Amino acid sequence: MRRWIGFLIAIALGAVLGLLYGWVVNPVEYVDTTPDSLRMDFKTDYVLMVAEAYQKEGSLGLAARRLALLGDASPAELIAQASLSAVQLGYSNLDLSIMQKLADDFQTWNPNLEEPAP
Amino acid sequence: MRGENRGPWYLLTGLVLGILAGLLYAWLISPVQYTNTAPASLRGDFKDQYRTLIAVAYLSNTDFARAKARLDLLEDPDVVSALSLQAQLARQQGRPESEISALTALALALQGSPIVPTVLPSPSATPTRQLSPTVTPTQVVSLLSTLTPSQAAGSTALQTPTPSLTPLPTRTATPTPGAAFVLQDQALVCTPGTASLIQVEALDAAGQPIPGVEVSVRWEAGEDHFFTGLKLELSPGYADFAIQPDQTYQVRLSDDGELVSGLAAAECETESGERYWGSWKLIFQQP
Repeated sequence: MRRWIGFLIAIALGAVLGLLYGWVVNPVEYVDTTPDSLRMDFKTDYVLMVAEAYQKEGSLGLAARRLALLGDASPAELIAQASLSAVQLGYSNLDLSIMQKLADDFQTWNPNLEEPAP
Repeated sequence: MRGENRGPWYLLTGLVLGILAGLLYAWLISPVQYTNTAPASLRGDFKDQYRTLIAVAYLSNTDFARAKARLDLLEDPDVVSALSLQAQLARQQGRPESEISALTALALALQGSPIVPTVLPSPSATPTRQLSPTVTPTQVVSLLSTLTPSQAAGSTALQTPTPSLTPLPTRTATPTPGAAFVLQDQALVCTPGTASLIQVEALDAAGQPIPGVEVSVRWEAGEDHFFTGLKLELSPGYADFAIQPDQTYQVRLSDDGELVSGLAAAECETESGERYWGSWKLIFQQP
């Protein structure tokens, strides 16, 4: 009986050591991730950057390709999610309106009319 | 008696089994899911795209502090070098000129030459881009509702914000236009082991280097256009172009600068008599 107890304690100790190694000594380092794994506040700022760049470049196709890095959702959905997050994060009205302008323009966007990417 | 002879090996066995169980759980049953990551962890090519987006957004809003804060998220060891290198690579890869100039402008801003927004004197000359300062959370929620499939086609539920009549500033990343560039100096530069180049330096009337000046190079079979400031480690007003020994080249800065023609690769010689191709250094200055 004592052996079994000792055996189980050893297993538990081994698991603790494994977790200690994995979480403290050599924790996971996030490298080579993709934009769709970004935290929501970073995604929100990314969408704002796309909207700001769209102001300068005026290309919905380019904006769509940039937004596609954030996931499979449509550009309009991605902007809507980011807009909600932006409101919660206290973005300025100017920033919100820039994002809304991009969303507005996507309402009438036809990807079939886009020229291929360079 | 047999059990007593086994010694403490059962403890070691238990320890190993425990570690294996932990690893099995961590690697197979519940592997790491990458969520809530930061831009610094992005793969290299995504970081490049992120950096480009920061630069283009900076050209749009001219908000240097915001661009700087965004760049900090990428945790580049040397931000200026990263931007300059990416601008050079973008040029080699034939990326749009807008991307190259955006990366260059941001690199220059980090070195103390930020873009200064200029306000047009007359509202009548203001572009039609208008932004409303009156967006409310309610309007954003209404935006979500317009995205449902039942309302998607032709929906006008999203309220267009009231246009502001306040004239907006016009921003530009191009250098201040000045007088036509004139050739001030032309010299053969002999550096063994390097490619034969046409090296251009653009200076203003005060002798300060000017980034973003277009350089046109023509030869019999073609021409190329590029900009000063893509090699900030050398000088903000510097640009160069690799030349072939069997060609003759013409160089001009901007559209109305002095044309320098008859440039061909010239030979240099080391002390041991070994010959190699040198480079031409042209210094242009605004009078």
